[in-house]
Amino acid sequence: MTTQPIFIPVILGTPRQGRMSEPVAKFVVEQVAKRDGVETELIDIRNIPLPTSDEGESIKDPKFSETMMRADALIIVVPEYNHGYPGLLKHLLDTNLKEYIHKAVGICGVSAGPFGGTRVIQSLLPVMRELGLVNIFWDGNFSNVHNIFDQSGKLLDEAYIRRLDKFLQELVWMAKVLRYGRENIASE
Amino acid sequence: MPAEPMTCPKCGIQMNHHADKLDSTSTAALAEPDAVNLELGGILNEVHTCPSCKTIEIRRAT
Repeated sequence: MTTQPIFIPVILGTPRQGRMSEPVAKFVVEQVAKRDGVETELIDIRNIPLPTSDEGESIKDPKFSETMMRADALIIVVPEYNHGYPGLLKHLLDTNLKEYIHKAVGICGVSAGPFGGTRVIQSLLPVMRELGLVNIFWDGNFSNVHNIFDQSGKLLDEAYIRRLDKFLQELVWMAKVLRYGRENIASE
Repeated sequence: MPAEPMTCPKCGIQMNHHADKLDSTSTAALAEPDAVNLELGGILNEVHTCPSCKTIEIRRAT
Protein backbone atom coordinates (compact mmCIF):
# COMPACT_ATOMS: atom_id res chain seq x y z
CA MET A 1 0.00 0.00 0.00
CA THR A 2 1.21 3.50 -0.74
CA THR A 3 2.48 5.34 2.30
CA GLN A 4 0.94 8.72 1.60
CA PRO A 5 -1.40 10.03 4.29
CA ILE A 6 -5.07 9.27 3.91
CA PHE A 7 -6.65 12.28 2.20
CA ILE A 8 -10.21 13.19 3.14
CA PRO A 9 -11.53 16.42 1.64
CA VAL A 10 -14.70 17.95 3.06
CA ILE A 11 -17.30 19.25 0.63
CA LEU A 12 -19.41 22.15 1.82
CA GLY A 13 -22.53 21.32 -0.12
CA THR A 14 -24.47 24.55 -0.42
CA PRO A 15 -23.73 27.99 -1.85
CA ARG A 16 -26.65 29.65 -0.05
CA GLN A 17 -26.01 33.03 1.58
CA GLY A 18 -26.05 32.81 5.37
CA ARG A 19 -25.53 29.05 5.28
CA MET A 20 -25.11 27.40 8.67
CA SER A 21 -23.40 24.45 7.03
CA GLU A 22 -20.27 26.58 6.79
CA PRO A 23 -19.34 26.51 10.50
CA VAL A 24 -20.18 22.81 10.50
CA ALA A 25 -17.86 22.14 7.57
CA LYS A 26 -15.06 24.18 9.14
CA PHE A 27 -15.50 22.30 12.42
CA VAL A 28 -15.34 18.98 10.55
CA VAL A 29 -12.16 20.03 8.74
CA GLU A 30 -10.58 20.96 12.09
CA GLN A 31 -11.43 17.58 13.56
CA VAL A 32 -10.15 15.65 10.54
CA ALA A 33 -6.92 17.64 10.53
CA LYS A 34 -6.23 16.63 14.15
CA ARG A 35 -5.92 12.97 13.21
CA ASP A 36 -2.49 11.49 12.62
CA GLY A 37 -1.80 10.37 9.09
CA VAL A 38 -4.80 12.15 7.65
CA GLU A 39 -4.88 15.23 5.43
CA THR A 40 -7.90 17.27 4.55
CA GLU A 41 -9.08 20.43 2.87
CA LEU A 42 -12.34 22.30 2.55
CA ILE A 43 -14.05 22.33 -0.83
CA ASP A 44 -16.63 25.10 -1.00
CA ILE A 45 -19.00 24.45 -3.90
CA ARG A 46 -19.50 28.19 -4.11
CA ASN A 47 -15.96 28.42 -5.50
CA ILE A 48 -16.30 25.83 -8.25
CA PRO A 49 -17.36 27.34 -11.55
CA LEU A 50 -19.86 25.04 -13.22
CA PRO A 51 -21.97 25.89 -16.25
CA THR A 52 -25.67 25.13 -16.09
CA SER A 53 -26.02 24.65 -19.83
CA ASP A 54 -24.79 21.04 -19.59
CA GLU A 55 -24.44 18.20 -17.09
CA GLY A 56 -22.05 15.41 -16.18
CA GLU A 57 -18.44 14.70 -16.97
CA SER A 58 -18.31 17.07 -19.92
CA ILE A 59 -18.27 20.01 -17.51
CA LYS A 60 -15.62 18.68 -15.12
CA ASP A 61 -13.74 21.28 -13.15
CA PRO A 62 -10.07 20.18 -13.42
CA LYS A 63 -9.12 21.21 -9.89
CA PHE A 64 -12.10 19.46 -8.33
CA SER A 65 -11.44 16.31 -10.37
CA GLU A 66 -7.80 16.29 -9.33
CA THR A 67 -8.84 16.59 -5.70
CA MET A 68 -11.31 13.73 -6.08
CA MET A 69 -8.62 11.64 -7.80
CA ARG A 70 -6.31 12.17 -4.85
CA ALA A 71 -8.99 11.57 -2.22
CA ASP A 72 -9.25 8.32 -0.27
CA ALA A 73 -12.58 9.30 1.22
CA LEU A 74 -15.04 12.17 1.18
CA ILE A 75 -17.06 13.95 3.78
CA ILE A 76 -20.11 15.78 2.52
CA VAL A 77 -21.60 18.45 4.75
CA VAL A 78 -25.07 19.02 3.46
CA PRO A 79 -28.09 20.99 4.66
CA GLU A 80 -31.61 19.73 4.29
CA TYR A 81 -33.61 21.88 1.90
CA ASN A 82 -37.23 20.82 1.45
CA HIS A 83 -36.31 17.32 2.69
CA GLY A 84 -33.65 17.01 -0.03
CA TYR A 85 -30.15 18.06 -0.99
CA PRO A 86 -29.15 21.28 -2.74
CA GLY A 87 -29.32 20.96 -6.51
CA LEU A 88 -25.88 22.46 -6.99
CA LEU A 89 -24.35 19.66 -4.90
CA LYS A 90 -25.80 17.01 -7.20
CA HIS A 91 -24.75 19.04 -10.23
CA LEU A 92 -21.18 19.03 -8.92
CA LEU A 93 -21.06 15.38 -7.85
CA ASP A 94 -22.29 14.26 -11.26
CA THR A 95 -19.28 15.81 -13.00
CA ASN A 96 -17.02 12.94 -11.89
CA LEU A 97 -17.25 9.16 -11.75
CA LYS A 98 -14.04 7.16 -11.97
CA GLU A 99 -12.55 9.43 -9.31
CA TYR A 100 -15.06 8.16 -6.72
CA ILE A 101 -15.08 4.42 -7.28
CA HIS A 102 -14.26 2.28 -4.25
CA LYS A 103 -13.73 5.27 -1.99
CA ALA A 104 -15.40 5.84 1.35
CA VAL A 105 -17.93 8.57 2.02
CA GLY A 106 -19.48 9.92 5.18
CA ILE A 107 -22.30 12.45 5.30
CA CYS A 108 -22.93 15.18 7.84
CA GLY A 109 -26.50 16.45 7.72
CA VAL A 110 -27.34 19.95 8.90
CA SER A 111 -30.77 21.21 9.85
CA ALA A 112 -32.42 24.06 11.70
CA GLY A 113 -34.83 21.54 13.23
CA PRO A 114 -34.37 18.54 15.51
CA PHE A 115 -33.63 15.78 12.98
CA GLY A 116 -30.06 16.68 12.08
CA GLY A 117 -30.50 16.29 8.36
CA THR A 118 -31.52 12.64 8.57
CA ARG A 119 -33.82 12.98 5.57
CA VAL A 120 -31.20 14.55 3.35
CA ILE A 121 -28.71 11.89 4.38
CA GLN A 122 -31.15 9.14 3.48
CA SER A 123 -31.85 10.75 0.12
CA LEU A 124 -28.13 11.02 -0.66
CA LEU A 125 -27.27 7.38 0.11
CA PRO A 126 -28.48 5.92 -3.22
CA VAL A 127 -26.67 8.70 -5.10
CA MET A 128 -23.43 7.86 -3.32
CA ARG A 129 -23.89 4.19 -4.13
CA GLU A 130 -24.41 4.81 -7.84
CA LEU A 131 -21.33 7.02 -7.96
CA GLY A 132 -19.30 4.04 -6.73
CA LEU A 133 -18.70 5.47 -3.27
CA VAL A 134 -18.95 3.27 -0.19
CA ASN A 135 -21.19 4.64 2.55
CA ILE A 136 -20.14 4.21 6.15
CA PHE A 137 -22.66 3.41 8.87
CA TRP A 138 -22.00 6.50 10.95
CA ASP A 139 -23.47 9.89 10.10
CA GLY A 140 -22.95 13.37 11.43
CA ASN A 141 -26.24 14.89 12.56
CA PHE A 142 -26.16 18.59 13.33
CA SER A 143 -29.60 19.41 14.73
CA ASN A 144 -30.82 22.89 15.69
CA VAL A 145 -27.63 24.14 14.12
CA HIS A 146 -28.17 27.74 15.20
CA ASN A 147 -27.62 26.57 18.77
CA ILE A 148 -24.43 24.62 18.09
CA PHE A 149 -22.21 27.51 17.01
CA ASP A 150 -22.05 31.11 18.11
CA GLN A 151 -21.94 34.09 15.75
CA SER A 152 -18.20 33.67 15.23
CA GLY A 153 -18.53 29.98 14.38
CA LYS A 154 -17.24 28.77 17.75
CA LEU A 155 -18.57 25.39 18.82
CA LEU A 156 -20.89 25.64 21.82
CA ASP A 157 -21.61 21.95 22.40
CA GLU A 158 -18.53 19.81 23.05
CA ALA A 159 -20.50 16.60 22.59
CA TYR A 160 -20.15 17.06 18.85
CA ILE A 161 -16.41 16.47 19.14
CA ARG A 162 -16.98 13.02 20.62
CA ARG A 163 -19.72 12.20 18.14
CA LEU A 164 -17.61 13.22 15.19
CA ASP A 165 -14.68 11.23 16.52
CA LYS A 166 -16.70 8.01 16.17
CA PHE A 167 -17.76 9.00 12.65
CA LEU A 168 -14.15 9.74 11.66
CA GLN A 169 -12.82 6.58 13.25
CA GLU A 170 -15.05 4.52 11.00
CA LEU A 171 -14.43 6.66 7.92
CA VAL A 172 -10.63 6.45 8.24
CA TRP A 173 -10.79 2.69 8.72
CA MET A 174 -12.93 2.28 5.63
CA ALA A 175 -10.69 4.64 3.65
CA LYS A 176 -7.62 2.55 4.52
CA VAL A 177 -9.33 -0.72 3.64
CA LEU A 178 -10.58 0.60 0.34
CA ARG A 179 -7.25 2.12 -0.59
CA TYR A 180 -5.61 -1.26 0.00
CA GLY A 181 -8.28 -2.87 -2.14
CA ARG A 182 -8.00 -0.38 -4.98
CA GLU A 183 -4.25 -0.84 -5.13
CA ASN A 184 -3.89 -4.55 -4.44
CA ILE A 185 -7.03 -6.60 -4.88
CA ALA A 186 -8.01 -7.31 -8.45
CA SER A 187 -11.58 -7.71 -9.60
CA GLU A 188 -12.32 -11.34 -10.48
CA MET B 1 -10.02 -9.93 -15.20
CA PRO B 2 -9.36 -7.71 -18.20
CA ALA B 3 -7.82 -9.35 -21.26
CA GLU B 4 -5.04 -6.77 -21.31
CA PRO B 5 -3.47 -5.32 -18.16
CA MET B 6 -3.58 -1.54 -18.05
CA THR B 7 -0.41 0.47 -17.68
CA CYS B 8 -0.33 3.65 -15.62
CA PRO B 9 0.12 6.61 -17.96
CA LYS B 10 2.20 8.38 -15.31
CA CYS B 11 4.34 5.60 -13.74
CA GLY B 12 4.38 3.00 -16.48
CA ILE B 13 3.62 0.20 -14.04
CA GLN B 14 0.71 -2.21 -14.17
CA MET B 15 -2.49 -0.85 -12.67
CA ASN B 16 -4.92 -2.82 -10.54
CA HIS B 17 -8.31 -3.52 -12.11
CA HIS B 18 -10.57 -3.37 -9.07
CA ALA B 19 -14.02 -2.51 -10.36
CA ASP B 20 -16.43 -2.73 -13.25
CA LYS B 21 -18.91 0.10 -13.58
CA LEU B 22 -22.01 0.04 -15.73
CA ASP B 23 -22.87 3.24 -17.54
CA SER B 24 -26.60 3.04 -18.10
CA THR B 25 -27.18 6.63 -19.14
CA SER B 26 -29.09 7.15 -22.34
CA THR B 27 -26.58 9.69 -23.63
CA ALA B 28 -23.77 7.13 -23.47
CA ALA B 29 -25.90 4.50 -25.17
CA LEU B 30 -26.92 6.90 -27.94
CA ALA B 31 -23.33 7.96 -28.49
CA GLU B 32 -22.01 4.39 -28.70
CA PRO B 33 -24.91 2.03 -29.42
CA ASP B 34 -22.58 -0.80 -30.41
CA ALA B 35 -20.89 -0.67 -27.01
CA VAL B 36 -24.09 -1.38 -25.09
CA ASN B 37 -24.16 -4.73 -23.35
CA LEU B 38 -27.80 -5.73 -23.78
CA GLU B 39 -27.72 -8.33 -21.01
CA LEU B 40 -26.39 -5.83 -18.48
CA GLY B 41 -28.33 -2.86 -19.79
CA GLY B 42 -25.52 -0.41 -20.41
CA ILE B 43 -21.90 0.13 -21.34
CA LEU B 44 -19.49 -1.79 -19.13
CA ASN B 45 -16.31 0.01 -18.07
CA GLU B 46 -13.26 -1.19 -16.15
CA VAL B 47 -11.79 0.93 -13.37
CA HIS B 48 -8.04 0.71 -12.76
CA THR B 49 -5.94 2.28 -10.00
CA CYS B 50 -2.17 2.69 -9.96
CA PRO B 51 -0.66 1.18 -6.77
CA SER B 52 2.14 3.72 -6.92
CA CYS B 53 0.72 7.14 -7.76
CA LYS B 54 -3.04 6.54 -7.22
CA THR B 55 -3.94 7.55 -10.77
CA ILE B 56 -7.34 6.21 -11.76
CA GLU B 57 -8.22 5.22 -15.30
CA ILE B 58 -11.44 3.95 -16.80
CA ARG B 59 -11.87 2.16 -20.12
CA ARG B 60 -14.36 0.02 -21.97
CA ALA B 61 -14.40 -3.55 -20.66
CA THR B 62 -12.17 -5.79 -22.69
